[in-house]
Amino acid sequence: MRLMLYVLLLTTALCLAGCQQQEKGVILQEDIASDTLASNIVTKPIIHAFSAIIGEGIEIDRAVTYVNKDGFMELEVAGHNRSFGTKRFEYKVEWLDKSGMVIASLTNKWMLTSAAGKSPFTIKAVAPRTTAVDFRMNTRKIPD
Amino acid sequence: MMKKILPFVLAAALFGCEPSTKNIDTINDPGKAVMGLDYRDFERAASEMVQSMVASGAFKKEGGGRYVVAKGRILNDTMQRIDTDQLMAKVEQEMTRSGLVVMTAAVGAGNAPKDSMVHDVREIRDSDKADEFNKDTLQAKGQLIAPELSISGKVIQRNVRYEGDKQQVEYYFQLQMNNLTNGLVFWQNEIVLGKRGSNKSVSW
Repeated sequence: MRLMLYVLLLTTALCLAGCQQQEKGVILQEDIASDTLASNIVTKPIIHAFSAIIGEGIEIDRAVTYVNKDGFMELEVAGHNRSFGTKRFEYKVEWLDKSGMVIASLTNKWMLTSAAGKSPFTIKAVAPRTTAVDFRMNTRKIPD
Repeated sequence: MMKKILPFVLAAALFGCEPSTKNIDTINDPGKAVMGLDYRDFERAASEMVQSMVASGAFKKEGGGRYVVAKGRILNDTMQRIDTDQLMAKVEQEMTRSGLVVMTAAVGAGNAPKDSMVHDVREIRDSDKADEFNKDTLQAKGQLIAPELSISGKVIQRNVRYEGDKQQVEYYFQLQMNNLTNGLVFWQNEIVLGKRGSNKSVSW
């Protein structure tokens, strides 16, 4: 009975700690921030295993394009990594002209990037020609 | 009988084990990373350099037009026999296509690739051979455009002992665009490509 009480108290404390308001824009990784359910030494393996089972990974929040003062389209893709581990992956941005054709360019190559666990990330790209009006982006796992 | 057949059987078996040659899919290459620099590293470095140049906004010429750029020296300070022109060709090609700059083939530093024909046709113009040509088609004097900018840089390699049987190889690609009129650095960028692998892998 006493053990159950301890576990209940611990869980409540961790939940309350996890609910603490964090400064927006500041990310405190595990082992740096105060313990939460996801980082506590007791509950961490269960939460991490659950995350892996449900297959948490990269999610894209928004892709913004704008034309810079020199007339080149710029792209900023913002997303976040839902998993606990760092995700390394490759991306390729292809630029399209007004007729929807891919603009042949050296910049249409697979580029390396990564996102730290439970953190946001940003990918930036610049069109190689002023004729670019749209884009498409692909991602892939880094070859082993 | 068996002794006669055995060498042929062994030869056939060994020949069968030889890995077959395949063409590399350079668009979606699934190949593993290598400790040295391969074409993917050059493409990544060149792509990042070009995007940095285009995004910098430094190459928009006031009053319109394009900057004339000469090839400067790109030093190879690595343990590999890198033809730095290979990297520069990619960067120059993309920058020219972007419409921001135009490269000159008339002048360039040291061994930087130039077109000797630019000077050869002028030598012809000033020699007795000029009589063989229609005078109107010969290049007039004072037609060459002097470069306004020059592109130069360096590729550096550093080998670091990482763990017992692992090594870390760092490649630094440094490029800068200089204004030849006043010597000011117009733009510069450094890209680092790092590789970690077995000590047995050779990076030279």
